[in-house]
Amino acid sequence: MRLNVESVTKNYRGGVHALRGVQLALEPGVLGLLGPNGAGKSTLMRILATITQPTAGRVLWNDVDIAQKPDGLRDVLGYLPQDFGVYPNLNAIEFLEYLAAVKGLEAGAARKRIAELLDLVNLTSAAKRPLGGYSGGMRQRVGIAQALLNDPQLLIVDEPTAGLDPEERLRFRNLLSELSGERIVILSTHIVSDIEAVATSIAILAQGELLAHGAPEALLARLDGRVWEVVVSSEGLPALRREHLVSSTAHRGDGVHARVVAGTAPTPLARPLEPSLEDAYLDALTKQRNGDHAAASRPSLPSSGGSSAAVRGSAA
Amino acid sequence: MRAGRVIFALARADFLERVRRYSFFLTMLFALGLGYGAATGRISISMDGFRGVYTSAWIGSLAALITTCFVTLVGFYIIKSSVDRDRQTGVGQILAATPMSRTSYALGKFLSNFGVLASMVLVLAVCALVMQLFAAEDRHIDSAALVMPFLVVALPAIALTAAVAVLFEMLPVLRGGVGNVIWFFAWILGGLALPELTGKTWLDPVGIGVVSQSMMAAARQVIPGYKNGFALSISTARVQLAEGLRWHGVDWTAQVVGLRIAWFGAAIAIAVLAALLFDRFDPSRALSFSLRRAQAAKQMGAPENGSDFAISGAQDSVALPGSALATVAPTGGRHLHLSALPSATRGGAFGRLFVAELRLALQGLRWWWYAIAAGLLVAEFFAPLEAARGPLLGVAWLWPVLVWSAMGSRESRFATRALLFSCSGILARQLPACFLAGVAVAVLTGAGVGVRLAMTGEISGLAAWFAGALFLPALALALGVVSGSGKAFEAILTALWYIGPMNHTPGADFTGAASGASTLRYAAIYLMISAALLAVAVVFRARQLRNN
Repeated sequence: MRLNVESVTKNYRGGVHALRGVQLALEPGVLGLLGPNGAGKSTLMRILATITQPTAGRVLWNDVDIAQKPDGLRDVLGYLPQDFGVYPNLNAIEFLEYLAAVKGLEAGAARKRIAELLDLVNLTSAAKRPLGGYSGGMRQRVGIAQALLNDPQLLIVDEPTAGLDPEERLRFRNLLSELSGERIVILSTHIVSDIEAVATSIAILAQGELLAHGAPEALLARLDGRVWEVVVSSEGLPALRREHLVSSTAHRGDGVHARVVAGTAPTPLARPLEPSLEDAYLDALTKQRNGDHAAASRPSLPSSGGSSAAVRGSAA
Repeated sequence: MRAGRVIFALARADFLERVRRYSFFLTMLFALGLGYGAATGRISISMDGFRGVYTSAWIGSLAALITTCFVTLVGFYIIKSSVDRDRQTGVGQILAATPMSRTSYALGKFLSNFGVLASMVLVLAVCALVMQLFAAEDRHIDSAALVMPFLVVALPAIALTAAVAVLFEMLPVLRGGVGNVIWFFAWILGGLALPELTGKTWLDPVGIGVVSQSMMAAARQVIPGYKNGFALSISTARVQLAEGLRWHGVDWTAQVVGLRIAWFGAAIAIAVLAALLFDRFDPSRALSFSLRRAQAAKQMGAPENGSDFAISGAQDSVALPGSALATVAPTGGRHLHLSALPSATRGGAFGRLFVAELRLALQGLRWWWYAIAAGLLVAEFFAPLEAARGPLLGVAWLWPVLVWSAMGSRESRFATRALLFSCSGILARQLPACFLAGVAVAVLTGAGVGVRLAMTGEISGLAAWFAGALFLPALALALGVVSGSGKAFEAILTALWYIGPMNHTPGADFTGAASGASTLRYAAIYLMISAALLAVAVVFRARQLRNN
């Protein structure tokens, strides 16, 4: 089971470059896709989900170009788009039965699967209510269920936890972890902690370019000895922000505790901290903005035995 | 003053959103097509087979009448989506939370609708000028005579259309396809036939009478044996020029102008009435009964979580940070597990997909829809065969218009394209299943006629019936896939039904009853058209699958 993204570029009318030469090689595991708004995450996901085609480059599913033969992938694909609708007069069971028929599932197996999925996404008691009366979170859970209908080998989920309450968010994360063993899961989100919890590999996109791709450990290792806690006054915070990348702040009794990414200690009293994924993400984005994305992506190739990452890839 | 700014801002934003859409370009092409039809004599005013010299007044009035007769009818379908767009995009929710008044919103939408239709009028006005220069029958350009019909006749007529479109969008029952069908009949009855039916010439919202009375008076003095014939018609047969008929336009008296201004006022009144009915995007006022019931159940605290979902203590209510979330078990100790799906369960039968599509097509229909369809079906069995296969079958096949109009466009309407288009076999399985579900609806609703034609051995009639049963869903599917909306099919089927089965026009009668000796020939033509329409649906859907 392999998914290869080879120099994929996507341009839209009006000279908008959504993706520029993105290159990835994926094997079973959870790939967390991080990036700011407009980074090209959803475009990449739509290309991988076969619903749009790249302007240049190609995507190979088990060595077959999905632009030429999309049905081979579609048979084993589960896709949860960022924005999707439902048929408001159908209930959850009827809607899933319809999609199961479209996906070509056999009737008996589909019924069993739907019951299991509804239980899994916690909608059994609401299963016979029209979808038009569902809350946003409930619809999102229907979306999650439909993505899993055909037991996909490639599961693509775009902002899956949007609208979910913390309990459902946790439930979904656990589900993704459970599912990731034998399939490729691509998870796109703005919530770094969601990715931190489940991803076995992380890719950072910005302005259509792949800034970094590798195991979380490898990304974090780049920041070893470069993350500091600095305590400053509220007045001193703007100056600190101007000079350094401040990834988070917390107001305490003794001042503002700022988390700073810097090559050397920003102040003599700075205390070294363990780097977090958020630090790594913000560092990569900052370097890209400063025109140093080549440096950002340099250490992104995890060696095959160097980490626990199940998804392996290379930066463009 | 503030309200004025709000209305202007709403109208401007809505207008800009529309004119930057591809459909606006098509709308302008439609207006140009009308202008071209007038310029080439295919659309003309016929006074018992004669026309007047193409003076500025004649051409201006011709183009203005084209506006009132075609733009008001078709334009309604073009503009009736403004409020719906706000509803679908969620912009409505944002607007509803502002201090904007309901009247401002309705008037803003009315002005935007008016602006779109006025753009078409402008295109036709320019066409009229070009047409006069092109025809060169009268080189004197009388700008007042050319423009006045547009200002006095066309603009109030399109204002009425713009206002009624807003009103229909505010009424849940008229918001969808029912409104599209009703508009056609309202336009025929209220727009064209009202002066004739009531005998009151002033009761003329589209303003045909203003022009026709004046033209007829001129024709009576010039055309020998003239019998007060007046028709705005589309025909390939050229109307003969009456050399002496140099008509210089309507006498725009204060009474005539005042009456037309009153119609404009009526349009504004309709828009204000629409404001009173505006639900301000409150779903509890807009949803269907079943959905309201579901909402009510939700608000009353009906459980939406399964009973096995139990998080104890503080974890239930605290928004946990990401890292903490990963460490707790939210399922009451139950392990989350999804069974693997055996590979033998894939590749389900086409029949099941067909049933699923049929069920989807019939979703949400109320008992009375089935009751009327059943009544029509029974009537098909027992009415005289000629009546059954003509008007009765026509009505039976008009009845499912809203079932068919969702075909091919449902995915766009309900934003399920991404879900569906990432599945395999959309072209090979889902599209054919959707089409066959539509055919099944046609066969079931027209079964009475089909069975009787088969029993009486009327092969040509049966072939025509079969061709009709294929043609209607094929038309719906093609228009739905191409336009992403059901409106085009609703408008075309209603017009076709009126021209064909109701007026027994051979060729346009998709039931085949009016085709006489040419029944088989027309059946073959309908089959070919159906095949072409299906090909169009497949080609466009294939394109959509490649680039959604």
